Amino acid sequence: MSLQILLTVAFGGALVTYLLGKTSAKVRNFLAVAISLVLVVFVAYLYGKPLEKTFYLGFFGLGLVLRLNMFSWFFAITIAVVGTLSIIFSLSYIRAREKTDFYFLMMLLVNAAMLGIVLAGDLVSFYIFWEIMSWSAFLLISYNRGPALAAGMKYIIMSVIGSLCFLVGMLSLYVSFDTLNISQIASAITSASSGYILFILTSFGIAFGIKNAVLPFHTWLPDAHSEAPAPFSAVLSGVLIKMGTYGFLLILYVIVGLKLFLGLGSSIFSFHSVLCLLGAITILIPTFIAMLQTDAKRLLAWSTVGQAGYIILGIAFGTNLALAGGIFHFFNHSLFKALLFLAVGAVEFRTQTRDLDSLGGLAKKMPVVFIATLVGICALIGVPLTSGFVSKWLIYKSLILEGSPFLAFFALVGTWGTILYSYKLIHNVFLGQLPEKYKDIQKSPFSMQLPMIVLSLAILVFGILPGIPLKVINAIGISFGFESLNVTLWGIASETGTLNTINIFSTVLVAAVLLWLLFRLGAKSVSIPQEDSYAAGAHTPADKYHYTVEFYNPLHRMIKPFLRDVIDEFYYWIAASVRSLASSVKRIYSGDVGYYVMYIVLFLSLLIFAQMKWKLW
Amino acid sequence: METMVVKITQIILSPILALVVGVFFLGLARKIMARIHWRYGPPLIQPVIDMIRLFYQKSVSHGRMFDLGIIISLAGSIVVILFLPFGRICPLSSSGGLLVILYMMLLAPLGIALSAGQGANPNISIGISRKLILSLGYEVPLLLVLLAVMTRYKTISIMEVVSAQQSTGWALFSWPLFLSGLSYFLILPAILGIRPFDVSSAPQEISSGTMVEYGGKYLALATIEHAFILFISIALFVNLFLAGATNPIIFFAKMLVVFVLGLFIHAVFPRFRIEQAIKYLWKWPTLLAFVGLIITLMIK
Repeated sequence: MSLQILLTVAFGGALVTYLLGKTSAKVRNFLAVAISLVLVVFVAYLYGKPLEKTFYLGFFGLGLVLRLNMFSWFFAITIAVVGTLSIIFSLSYIRAREKTDFYFLMMLLVNAAMLGIVLAGDLVSFYIFWEIMSWSAFLLISYNRGPALAAGMKYIIMSVIGSLCFLVGMLSLYVSFDTLNISQIASAITSASSGYILFILTSFGIAFGIKNAVLPFHTWLPDAHSEAPAPFSAVLSGVLIKMGTYGFLLILYVIVGLKLFLGLGSSIFSFHSVLCLLGAITILIPTFIAMLQTDAKRLLAWSTVGQAGYIILGIAFGTNLALAGGIFHFFNHSLFKALLFLAVGAVEFRTQTRDLDSLGGLAKKMPVVFIATLVGICALIGVPLTSGFVSKWLIYKSLILEGSPFLAFFALVGTWGTILYSYKLIHNVFLGQLPEKYKDIQKSPFSMQLPMIVLSLAILVFGILPGIPLKVINAIGISFGFESLNVTLWGIASETGTLNTINIFSTVLVAAVLLWLLFRLGAKSVSIPQEDSYAAGAHTPADKYHYTVEFYNPLHRMIKPFLRDVIDEFYYWIAASVRSLASSVKRIYSGDVGYYVMYIVLFLSLLIFAQMKWKLW
Repeated sequence: METMVVKITQIILSPILALVVGVFFLGLARKIMARIHWRYGPPLIQPVIDMIRLFYQKSVSHGRMFDLGIIISLAGSIVVILFLPFGRICPLSSSGGLLVILYMMLLAPLGIALSAGQGANPNISIGISRKLILSLGYEVPLLLVLLAVMTRYKTISIMEVVSAQQSTGWALFSWPLFLSGLSYFLILPAILGIRPFDVSSAPQEISSGTMVEYGGKYLALATIEHAFILFISIALFVNLFLAGATNPIIFFAKMLVVFVLGLFIHAVFPRFRIEQAIKYLWKWPTLLAFVGLIITLMIK
């Protein structure tokens, strides 16, 4: 019963917010925040209460089911939290814009739909919520107009293709097993042939791969993420693409099951190793592309593609450590990528630009945003003591010990590439020279700072005490049929290598405090303005030397020729050919009745000719 | 209780030991370089004298991150040293193994980059950009090397790598890992940032790059940091390929040999351009490390 109430609050709240927005903006803002907070509390309250309930029977004889278990709870709480924070961030971000009612309606609707997806217990309701999510996301991506319209169009076309693949898989399952209830399919599918399972996995894999932006289905993501409004980019990158991850977990481990999935195919040509390889490539190539970007959000968007690769790699590798790493990385990525998109949004809100070549030196002007970004990139790189480290550690360790060093190599090189682009992000925005025009820039409003502070704290807490989320993740792993991990509050104990974050934390802390004291003991330093820097005796004029432009120029020159997005070009080629085909078809339908009469006459004469010649009838 | 005391003594002593060895290496480097150039050279303890003097000299600061970054960097290095076994001593062996070392080694350049980045000097931006590109360059072969070692000994714990070598012989002279060891030695100058790979600190070209705004105690701390990096990169090589050692004296002797060999390269080669450096690093060392990893995989 409570799941129905939850979804009613989520969907109903969105509509009520929209309607109230017509009367008063204040009430609308309050209600939007209140509803999303209620959802967080509600989902948190449902922790550890497994539920399954059929709420509607009349859909062509199929029961629509809602269910809650540890697996869906973990995704639900992430969605609710990230959604709430981005709505709080939106309050000042969107204030001066048009159609704010519509914006809040769509934000709440996307959140509600995502909650519906993870709570759905059968494929029909899954599909319905999936479509609501896709379409409201489309409207939000195009919210900014201009180039955003094209980005949204690209997104929705790929989304629709994904949905069609989903539909094919779903109908085929219905024909074979006469049910669409997830748990019933899971028990029936054990008798299916391996060819059939491969077909099911491929069709669902394309659907979820497009949402999760796995190579070669990633092309919509960079455009959509960079053109959407910043708080929605946070939701998009943080949780919306993770619905693909959820789908992968659902189809691989809940429906098909661990044994069947790993047993599909042989050695290198098995489904499992192909998926791992796709994950590894998805890590590597986008990471290098991200280094070359000059638009902050586009850089983060490519980084999202790369990080999604870690998640897929972890999930597809199919050991308990790697799976835990993959799911944990999904969670971490939701936190830190949402944080980074919000931070870039906060900078854009004040400076009206996100061009990495023209910003700089904002650390002193926006200290909170700077620290948030610092925590975010540390987690993105996976610096120890942030939660990003633990998840990557789990994935690497599993890959190395299970004898896949090349996959581990891809993942590790991806991390070192991550350092390059994340440093570029923080250096070009917050460090280096402050341009003259940003001398009097204001701090961010509190409603923007609050979500960033919450997310930064979460990243640090879960980095030092990773046991909190790992306990839930371990329960998910057990429900998928994996062996239990030996999780403690500050890490993982096992015979092949223990992780102890509290040790690392305390030594870093003690070392830093001692060094700080040593630093204070030395002669005092004088604070000087940025123009007063060493330039071999010459004066450094402000705004003349801006070395953030083309930050990695030598590398850029070397790798640029290898990084053409061939896949995107291919899709555009398909689109162009379809368009030219359509326009040639259109030439036949000229709209002139005379032509149509001619077609009819020609066709009839063809029939008559055929009859006279070959006596067909 | 007694083990606790021993452990704490080790934790306190090992960074100090590392510092002494690292600073000694800095002094020795200047001496050896001078002799190769037919000069007399400064006394061995010159770096210590410099550091003490610098510590009491006036300096300039460009902001909070400028101060904090260098502390982060040093703290990261100290933690790495606590994870590295030298001799039988490894104060924090059981907290994540080689992967944690790899990642903690990141904090050192990242901290310096964040600190220097606030300096708002064009030379710094160029220096950092080069440093990061160079580190991407040498990480590719380095990761292949480390993966080969971890695959060969089927562990991610550096203690186990060391003890396995002490029973079966040095990894450098065992068949497949010979290639990896050679590759590591070829990239060692790049890891240490010495010629022919001193692109990021090129003194004549970009005024020492990241160091340009450091003076006084900042420069003193940066020198300590440099000594730590020297210690860590060489100690890692000794642990992974020269079987570590059973007592610290032999360990430092091995380190000395590796370091002096590296210095000879440093003394006679001119500086690469950054593109040349990347091309070199991604060619021979990577190829060697790659072949080493493949053979390790096939033998297993």
